Amino acid sequence: MSCRKAEKWLLMSFDGRLEARAAGLLEKHLAACPSCRKAEAEYRSMLALLRHGRDAEPLPRFWERLAPRLREETEIVPLLFWERWSLRAIPVFLTLVVLIGGFLFLTPQAGELSQSAALLFEDRDPLQETHALLESGKPETRTMALMFASLDEKTPLRRPTP
Amino acid sequence: MEEKQLVRLAQEGSPEAFEELARKFQPKVFSMALSFTRNREAADDLAQEIFLKAYLALPRFHGRSEFGTWLYRISVNHIKDYLRKKGRAKEVSLDDVQELSFSDKEQTERADEERRTEARRTIVQKFVEALPEKYRVILTLRDVQGLAYEDISRILKLSPGTVDSRLHRARRMLRAKLAPHLAGEGGTYELS
Repeated sequence: MSCRKAEKWLLMSFDGRLEARAAGLLEKHLAACPSCRKAEAEYRSMLALLRHGRDAEPLPRFWERLAPRLREETEIVPLLFWERWSLRAIPVFLTLVVLIGGFLFLTPQAGELSQSAALLFEDRDPLQETHALLESGKPETRTMALMFASLDEKTPLRRPTP
Repeated sequence: MEEKQLVRLAQEGSPEAFEELARKFQPKVFSMALSFTRNREAADDLAQEIFLKAYLALPRFHGRSEFGTWLYRISVNHIKDYLRKKGRAKEVSLDDVQELSFSDKEQTERADEERRTEARRTIVQKFVEALPEKYRVILTLRDVQGLAYEDISRILKLSPGTVDSRLHRARRMLRAKLAPHLAGEGGTYELS
């Protein structure tokens, strides 16, 4: 075993995280290696000094000094609760606006359909009327009728000015 | 009363519930602050500020972790902020420590055991303060505070593997710095 690995295992053993077999190998290495024994003793000394004073007691009347400060803050706390809810409400509101807006924008409006689209929407043949005109007798009537038929419902008609 | 119930009552605005929680955790929080600051008054102030901060942040505690873990996370972050503001994170001069060590040696000849132990701890603490922050924090949480690996992992939001490797490195760094001050006599090693 290398001294570097022994040091790693040594530190693991201090935390009780070394398996029994590895602990046995480490023990053998320590018995044979003076520098690792020295390292072990130094680590033990160092950790003991660090751990000392872990359970220090706070200064007297800790809570009695803290309580008035908390009471002062209590007056602000309801406002914080309100702020918290209002901050949550903003993204929810914006999401709803986007969803509703998107729905309205994407949904096709029946009133906005062109005449041809409306015919297709109603599953009717858009050329049906044209065929009827073409089959009628007079060429002038056919021409005029075709002109007017080609106009979309929304196209404004210009009346001839006198 | 159970901790979760106390937390819920405190969130609803019960000062009594929060007092019970504070009384339960105040020794740990104070001890943590003391181990970083080495000053009882400063540690006391910090502990008070930490509890105030926790009280105000209670509405944002959703119980995804233990209350203690959440509180320790607030503590560590608050203490780190304090140390940064105080400029305590700067490298400690080795000359200062050496001087303290000699002074300590003279004192130990006529001082009692308690005084010597305190002086040794001061030296160790000086070297701990000289470590980079990420190593100092993890070493303090584990070797001074004695927190479990899993708790440290949750408090610092680090993977267990990172906690392990960082702690290993921190211990090696500290020992390397302390080595000249450690002398072996009859199988026991003390600071010289």
